[in-house]
Amino acid sequence: MLNPTGPGESTGRVSTRGKMSNESFITLSMMGVFLGLFAIACILVPNFYRGQNIVNLVTNYWFVIMLGIGVTFLLITGNFDMSVGGIVAMTGVLSVYFCQAANVSQSELANGLGLPYGVAIALALVAALLIGAINAFFVTKLKVASIIVTLGTMSISRGIAQIVTQGAQRNTSLPDIFSKIGNITVVSSIKLAVIIMVVFVIAAVVIEKRTVFGRRTYLIGANKEASRLSGVKVGQHVTILYLTSALLAGITGILLASEYISGTSNRVMGSEFDALVIVLLGGTSIAGGFGSVAGTVIGAIILAVVTSSATGMLLRPEWQFILKGAVTFLAIMAQRFALDRRKL
Amino acid sequence: MMSDYVLDIKNLIKDFPGVRAVNDVSFGIKRNTVHCLVGENGAGKSTLIKILTGAYMRTSGTVLLSGKEYVAHNTKDAKQKGVSTLFQELNVVDQLTVEENLTLGSEDTFMGFLKKTDKIKKMISVLNSLEPSINPKQLVSRLSVAKKQIVEIARAVATESDIIIMDEPTAAISECEIERLFEIIRSLREKNVTVIYISHRLDEIFEIGDYVTVMRDGKHIDTKPISEVKDRSELIKMMIGKTIFESYVPREMQDEQVLLEVKNVTTDKLNNISFFVKRGEIVGFYGLVGAGKTELARAVFGADPYSGEITFKGKRLYGTPDKAIKAGIALVPEERRSQGLFTVLTIRNNIPVMNMKKISKGGFINSAKEIKVSADFINKLRIATNTMEKQASKLSGGNQQKVVFAKCLFADADLLILDEPTRGIDVGAKSEIYNIIRQLSKEGKSIMIFSSELPEIVNICDRMFILYDGVVKTEIKNGSSIDSEEIIHIATGGEIIC
Repeated sequence: MLNPTGPGESTGRVSTRGKMSNESFITLSMMGVFLGLFAIACILVPNFYRGQNIVNLVTNYWFVIMLGIGVTFLLITGNFDMSVGGIVAMTGVLSVYFCQAANVSQSELANGLGLPYGVAIALALVAALLIGAINAFFVTKLKVASIIVTLGTMSISRGIAQIVTQGAQRNTSLPDIFSKIGNITVVSSIKLAVIIMVVFVIAAVVIEKRTVFGRRTYLIGANKEASRLSGVKVGQHVTILYLTSALLAGITGILLASEYISGTSNRVMGSEFDALVIVLLGGTSIAGGFGSVAGTVIGAIILAVVTSSATGMLLRPEWQFILKGAVTFLAIMAQRFALDRRKL
Repeated sequence: MMSDYVLDIKNLIKDFPGVRAVNDVSFGIKRNTVHCLVGENGAGKSTLIKILTGAYMRTSGTVLLSGKEYVAHNTKDAKQKGVSTLFQELNVVDQLTVEENLTLGSEDTFMGFLKKTDKIKKMISVLNSLEPSINPKQLVSRLSVAKKQIVEIARAVATESDIIIMDEPTAAISECEIERLFEIIRSLREKNVTVIYISHRLDEIFEIGDYVTVMRDGKHIDTKPISEVKDRSELIKMMIGKTIFESYVPREMQDEQVLLEVKNVTTDKLNNISFFVKRGEIVGFYGLVGAGKTELARAVFGADPYSGEITFKGKRLYGTPDKAIKAGIALVPEERRSQGLFTVLTIRNNIPVMNMKKISKGGFINSAKEIKVSADFINKLRIATNTMEKQASKLSGGNQQKVVFAKCLFADADLLILDEPTRGIDVGAKSEIYNIIRQLSKEGKSIMIFSSELPEIVNICDRMFILYDGVVKTEIKNGSSIDSEEIIHIATGGEIIC
């Protein structure tokens, strides 16, 4: 907090010091949940406490956190975005298709448009923005419930990926440059993608807490009609958020396609739900007006601890879904419990 | 003698924080009569009715229904005990048929399946006797508001209600439908039903009522047979009492410059409204519920679409709220919790929202400025809180309204539109808000006040317009010759006597 420590002469008898905000409170309690789970995992799983393991926890989840940023902002305004997973697959596949060499093979899946890499990713991002624009149009202009609209575009974008790859994948006749961006590592073998994610998270936290744009995001979620009557351009604001969310998903898709040097139609299947789960674990309210990106990051770490410790305990992978579900319930009940006990 | 009374109210009191809404009210309602309840907004009628229907619990006092102690815990409980209510928001399900609506909530079933029973037959025969033109198999969504009301009345009669409370039943129906409704109300007397009738339209009271009870400022003023009430003006006198509007001091307008001009504004609720507002002027709009006040306030602010022309500072306004705010207009909306306040956010986050530019630079919020602004307003408007980090939802109604005021004041507007600025807040906070309004006008701001409380309008406005049914009926300059009876006469639909 940047509050001055004393009220000063201008603030008279009114204190600026309440208890900490509910958002910080939830973020801190989720931090507590994380530490608790981490401790349990350290006891149950050999070598879980190792530094490298902790770094892996975060880095393996970088794409869910990327998606979670846009989803958090939208959920704070009271809107869902379930299209992000589909957009990842679609942009990944398109970036491959656009820059595969043209007419080089008998196999259809080996032929692309032969565009330069830069043009290919730019066009793939335009496609992502188009999906975001469809979301925004239906939600803000036609006032359709966002969950319905984005479930629709989730299918459409995933469907485009399916068509372009004929339900499989494209991974041949790619230029060398294609595999670079997703596989560059910086300081002690951390992927560039993780650095990009961290930069976006920091930017998001600053925007959310320090800017007028961030404040308006909360206003819309807290009371849409009051925001409108207070001069907030609600439609425009939500449109920007859907476009941004789609763009972040698009960037994620391009990075993943580059990392695996392939465009796969079922890339990160279900990640839209993981993104929503970490946002909710991070304390963002479905009712809107409440939440934070910092919370979302902690939500991601909690989910990572649970899944990786399950793997470490040699729990069979098919059980992981149940485990994820159970942890989600527990964490959300813990939040409710903590908030209800909290008196302001 | 006592058995004559179906309902006997004794020393009924209802306290809300800071205000006694029903103050030691006692009166009786005779069986099989139409008993009218009148009073200005805030007189305590609604609170009294809400106690009878179980929406509120009384603070003290007794109510006897047919001689037995009566306490309702909710509307369903009230209904079972014999008190049905015809609310303004009708309690019918559009997607079901008339027949299904009649038995809704009291269906007879056999292992979960609906049974056709005598109950349904009885319901339908009651409906038939009231209004033969309604087909029980019809979907309710295809009925007019008036016919939906009749379905509700039939349900109440068939379940053997002793009392049906009708809250402004004629507000949303046409002239000939009103006639039909009145015929039905008259026929209810023979069906052993007592009607408590609430309406702002005084002519209806004389047409349909047997008795009338007048309330004012939470107190019972009088109950007497309609035949003993001479005319409207006697009723109006009882309603407003000896209110003397002494706090208004006539002022000479120093500035003759017209700030806002409204020409032929029409919406589906408003009809061809034209007026102007000068700089520094306080202009009031008085009218009863449904007269079109909120619609007019929202049209000027650009919150709802309209046809017509609105000019502000000589420039045409094209309505959206963000443009209106930029031009220098701010609105304190009618519903503070749903339209004015961000209840889940803190006071500090609420106050600056209409003018974020002033506390930010290049899109970044300057926290120090935000804190100073909030603290200044909390001090200036005396918002009762120990910290600006308190959630707005945790404040009392009056303090919430002050936060909404602070929000609008911070917008630095030249024209403030106040829609029911003191609704639901206590007397102390009210007078503080009046002081703020007077102070603002001294600073050269223009103010439009939309209110259904006459004293509020007469106390502070330089000029006032009376609205009835979406039309400006007349314009009055405030001063010594103000005739509040005449104003109420016009606002309740009476003809203008010149």
